[in-house]
Amino acid sequence: MIPLPNPELILFTTALGLVAIGLAGLALSRHLFRTVLALVIAEAGANLMLVLAGYRWDAVAPILTHLGEQPPMVDPVPQAMVLTAIVIGVGVQALAVSILIRIRQLYGTLERSTVAEKMSAEIAASAGTARDISQEAPLGERPLPPLPGAISEARGGKS
Amino acid sequence: MNSLIVLPIVLPLLGAFLLPLLMRLSVGLGVWVGPAILIYDGWLLAEQWFSGTALPFSLAIGGFAPPLGINLYIDALALLFAFSVQLLGLLFWPFRLDQESARRQSLMLLLVASSTGLALSGDLFNLYVFYELVAVATFGLIAVSATGAAYAATLRYLILSGIGSVLTLLGIALIYGQTGTLNLAHLAQLAPHQLNDTLGLTAFLLILIGVGVKAELFPVNTWVPEVYATASSRLSAFLAGLVSKLALLIILRLLVLVFYQPEALQVMLVLGILGVVSGELAAWRAKDVRRMLAFSSIGQLGMIFIALAMPDGAGLLAVLALAFHHLVIKSGLFSLADGWGGAIDQLRGAAKASPLAAALFVLFALSLIGFPPLPGFWAKFTLITELASQTSPLYLIGLTVFLLATVVEASYLFRLVATLYEKSPDETEPAETPKPAGLSLVTASLFGLGLLATTLFIAPVGDLLSHVSAQTGNVNLYIDTVMAGQTGGSR
Amino acid sequence: MTFTPLDELLLYSGATVLVALLLGRRLAAGWMVTILYGVQLLGLLKMASLGYGGTPISSSLSFQVLGQTLSWRFDALSWFFALITLGSALLSSWYSCGEWERAFRRQGGNLWLFHLAMALNVLSMLILLASGDLLSLFIGWELVSWAGFLLMAMAGGIATKAAMRYITYAMAGAMMIFGGIALVYVSAGSLQYEAILTAVGRMGTAHLWMLVILFGAGFGIKMGLLPFHLWQAPAYAETPGPGSAFLGAISSRMGLFAIALVLVKLFGVVNIESLKIPFTLIDARDLLAWIAVLTIILPTFTAMKQNDARHLLAWHGIGQGGYMLLGLVVADAMGGAGGLLHVFNHATYQAALFMAVTAVIHRTGTADLNKLGGLVVRMPLSFLVLLVGIIGLAGLPPMNGFVSKWLVYRSLLNQGMPLLFLASVIGTLGTILSVYKLIHNIFLGQLRVEHEQVREAPWSMMIPMLILTAIIFITGLFPGIPLAWVASVQQAVGLPVPDYTLGGVTASSGSLDMIWVIGVLFAGFGIGALIFYGAGPSKRVHQLDNYAGGHFLTADVRYQYSDNFYAGLMHLIKGWYRGSFLWLESSVKSLVEFLSLGMQGIYRRANAEFYLLSIALFVIAWVVI
Repeated sequence: MIPLPNPELILFTTALGLVAIGLAGLALSRHLFRTVLALVIAEAGANLMLVLAGYRWDAVAPILTHLGEQPPMVDPVPQAMVLTAIVIGVGVQALAVSILIRIRQLYGTLERSTVAEKMSAEIAASAGTARDISQEAPLGERPLPPLPGAISEARGGKS
Repeated sequence: MNSLIVLPIVLPLLGAFLLPLLMRLSVGLGVWVGPAILIYDGWLLAEQWFSGTALPFSLAIGGFAPPLGINLYIDALALLFAFSVQLLGLLFWPFRLDQESARRQSLMLLLVASSTGLALSGDLFNLYVFYELVAVATFGLIAVSATGAAYAATLRYLILSGIGSVLTLLGIALIYGQTGTLNLAHLAQLAPHQLNDTLGLTAFLLILIGVGVKAELFPVNTWVPEVYATASSRLSAFLAGLVSKLALLIILRLLVLVFYQPEALQVMLVLGILGVVSGELAAWRAKDVRRMLAFSSIGQLGMIFIALAMPDGAGLLAVLALAFHHLVIKSGLFSLADGWGGAIDQLRGAAKASPLAAALFVLFALSLIGFPPLPGFWAKFTLITELASQTSPLYLIGLTVFLLATVVEASYLFRLVATLYEKSPDETEPAETPKPAGLSLVTASLFGLGLLATTLFIAPVGDLLSHVSAQTGNVNLYIDTVMAGQTGGSR
Repeated sequence: MTFTPLDELLLYSGATVLVALLLGRRLAAGWMVTILYGVQLLGLLKMASLGYGGTPISSSLSFQVLGQTLSWRFDALSWFFALITLGSALLSSWYSCGEWERAFRRQGGNLWLFHLAMALNVLSMLILLASGDLLSLFIGWELVSWAGFLLMAMAGGIATKAAMRYITYAMAGAMMIFGGIALVYVSAGSLQYEAILTAVGRMGTAHLWMLVILFGAGFGIKMGLLPFHLWQAPAYAETPGPGSAFLGAISSRMGLFAIALVLVKLFGVVNIESLKIPFTLIDARDLLAWIAVLTIILPTFTAMKQNDARHLLAWHGIGQGGYMLLGLVVADAMGGAGGLLHVFNHATYQAALFMAVTAVIHRTGTADLNKLGGLVVRMPLSFLVLLVGIIGLAGLPPMNGFVSKWLVYRSLLNQGMPLLFLASVIGTLGTILSVYKLIHNIFLGQLRVEHEQVREAPWSMMIPMLILTAIIFITGLFPGIPLAWVASVQQAVGLPVPDYTLGGVTASSGSLDMIWVIGVLFAGFGIGALIFYGAGPSKRVHQLDNYAGGHFLTADVRYQYSDNFYAGLMHLIKGWYRGSFLWLESSVKSLVEFLSLGMQGIYRRANAEFYLLSIALFVIAWVVI
């Protein structure tokens, strides 16, 4: 018979798993909205972890129900902290989404690499410098002529 | 008297929420609120410094004594940083009046309030909250520029910062799970028994990387060049000059009080070295001033991390000297970038149009690369003598990297100086060289004056910093002050 | 607080900077600073006892910073170098007054900056020379580097590029010294010279090796030692005329001063000699000697290929530095005397040569050796100065360069180092060949049409040149005068002292008496003159009235053989010019460029979080496990 795993272990694994999923999502996703979602998942994991840090299975919620004799209470501090963290997290996420909307309006896309490309182009343009690296003009003193195939691809046509 | 020390946190916070309303009522009145708060707070902190109150002292908030309650811990270092926050907040105050000025000013007040909180707080979770507030205020301030690049850069910063908070929270959870407290003094008491293992180390590394996002620590600093290139130069000055140092302060406090493990130091040393290498080398090819300064800032912070990574608090003096030096220099340089922020090629002969700015740039650059007898030299001198006296070869690598990086730094900074003073090839060309904005030039001049004054009075400044670093490195003093010395500061 | 003579000197020097700063835009500023250099020189002469074995004079200025004591003092070594510094500053500044100044201003030069940079250079050099501990030495060193940068960069254009290259090299050197100072501090616990002297005996071999390499290379960069020599010639040559005379005379000698102070005095040649290179027969001292010899040979032969008179001279300046270091590391009585005396001698003739070339530029507007010729009929006095200067440079009697080089050769033979001797003679051969090119292409041959109206250099420039010429000859005739100073320097750095007389040195292995040498030489000249004038009437030939290769040339075809000089020799040795050091320099630069590109790439990568996080997680895993 397989022994039932400790529920605490399950919860800890879940929390760390959420963080791991979130981090992986952050690193792997190509769409900015997914990145924000991954951040939400990771934060949920971290918050769960924080709650678990002060949780006791044999205790009640930390609310003063009746004066006098008290059963053992769950540590209230982490719960207060989690509340704060959730509030902050939601605020940041709202800000992130509103920025996403602006980026979508200005750049017309939320594709991660395209946005990065457009951003560095805009920074270079506002600073008045040439782009550091681009497909059209490679670095070096005498740029090699671009391959004909690369040009047609860059123009998006398979003529 | 001592309890007034909460005002530098509370007043700007209140101001931040009331300012938009006030601005709607009367713009003429509203614009004065922010500077007035900052001046009052600055005066309050200065008075605290000079009033002869025994430093350090601790102030419990909300009527619960530590370790249960939240406390503020005020020592010389915290006061210095809190005062710097007010001063820089005032110097880089967004004076410009337009549609966004209410938003900008209240965000700035929020930034100042939370930064002051970072400097003064003695509770880990409290630090986390202030840290997040700093982040939110920063996002708002960068995004005010309202260009696509600014939004994209903010989002990138936000995501990295989000990763940082997740990791920090994890670290905090680990610590709390192990010790059941988040008060720094209490942690310092418990740490030698309870956190002196791999769990403690993991927690520290998580917090290091999390907080490192703002401290421009190597792997998590990719936001730096983009944000500093898109935000206004004055905001960049505040961020690079001060906020990075406050994040550093958290790491410093944790390192000194709680996590004292050789592995933690080694990781920090390696990350610091990588930061120096990547920052300084990347700056070498930078084509525009802002990104050059941003990369250079990464390199400088890397140097501070190298200093921080020395065992037994040997590097504390170097850390403080480098940090305050960089605070002054980078703020000054970014003020000059307000107007000179564009491509380096466009600055050809710009010294003719604004000789003062060019002279200031030369001064800052010289101090940054450690030209004696400017203060930068002494900061670097304390660092290298401490580094050379370490036995582990890793520190010698750090020393070598540091010296090589200085050569690279001198090379790119003075390439820019040479461009500034270059004579234009033909005089017929109309002089359209950019000039630093007047207000920022004044700010930069103030930093330059401060630098020169420090050069003259280097001996007393050095003694002061030694005193501060000794106080900062004294763990028992911290514990005793917080746990026993209740100054009855309940409101 | 009482003023010591050193305080006075530094005060005068500071006053000079102040005058140059505040009054530098006035027309008479040049004369004012020149007079102030004279005052400084007088202040230095008040300390003349130092040159004759007096006790060191310390400054009343002293600081305590971060537990370090900074102090300044003058001993025989400092005094000797300060004498050369102030002498060349006085004469260069004098030279710049009057006509040159006006011409410089007309061409859009910033005279105020020039005077200021000169005064700053002098002040910083005095501060360096006066250093009383390693920390003040480093401070002085950095001041000198950056003051030199100011003087080199002020002309703009090519000069600024050369100065940028210089400052990169100089910073690399400074950082090596900085690292060395940190290591010294750790092992000695203090940066005072006395503490270091006692600590050197305790240091392990590896530690001492490290220090010798760091300090040797760091100071060597300023001297232009191989392989760090590429910066020097363009940087000195492109500086405005009197500035290059000053820099060429003394600036790179600050490296030699520091080597004499740190490597010879503090570490001791005996200790350096004990550092063997494994698996070879040579030790660190031999290594330094061979570097010195290579520094003599390679830059000298590079000089031969230069077509700009200033660049030619500047390349020679690097090569001559090799003789000084060679003499110093041989470190016997004669070698040390030769090396140190060469500092003085080199300063005199190098300044004279740069001044003569600047005079030619002033009158003709060019220093291009292919565009000059025959000027001897137009500028005879400048010709004389240049002639005396190149005889000194080539190390031939009766000029002073002969004495110092003779001493170095003699000591190499005495110490049984024939290979080094041979190599340095090859260097001298190159010197003779290339200085002949210099004087021939400028003054000999036929005058160019466009130079027919050229006049002699103005007296404001001529007088300093003539003074230098006189010094070159007189110290060649009576080398005992500078040898007295050199002897007390040798005593101060702990080297043996030769027996010197007014006319030279006496030693069992071979003596030199320049009064006799010159007497015989002039007797020979006298006999020659007797034969020449006594043999009957001679025919005076006009400069243009000659022919070449059997072809008569009419007077309107000017003939000056200048391009592709030494074609035959070059055909033989051209394979040796490989530009390896240039290649090395550019490859280092490319490496930095490449790394920089990579680092920027890290920061630009759109999805860098992934890589960085995995690294971070890896690090955490590594530490935890």
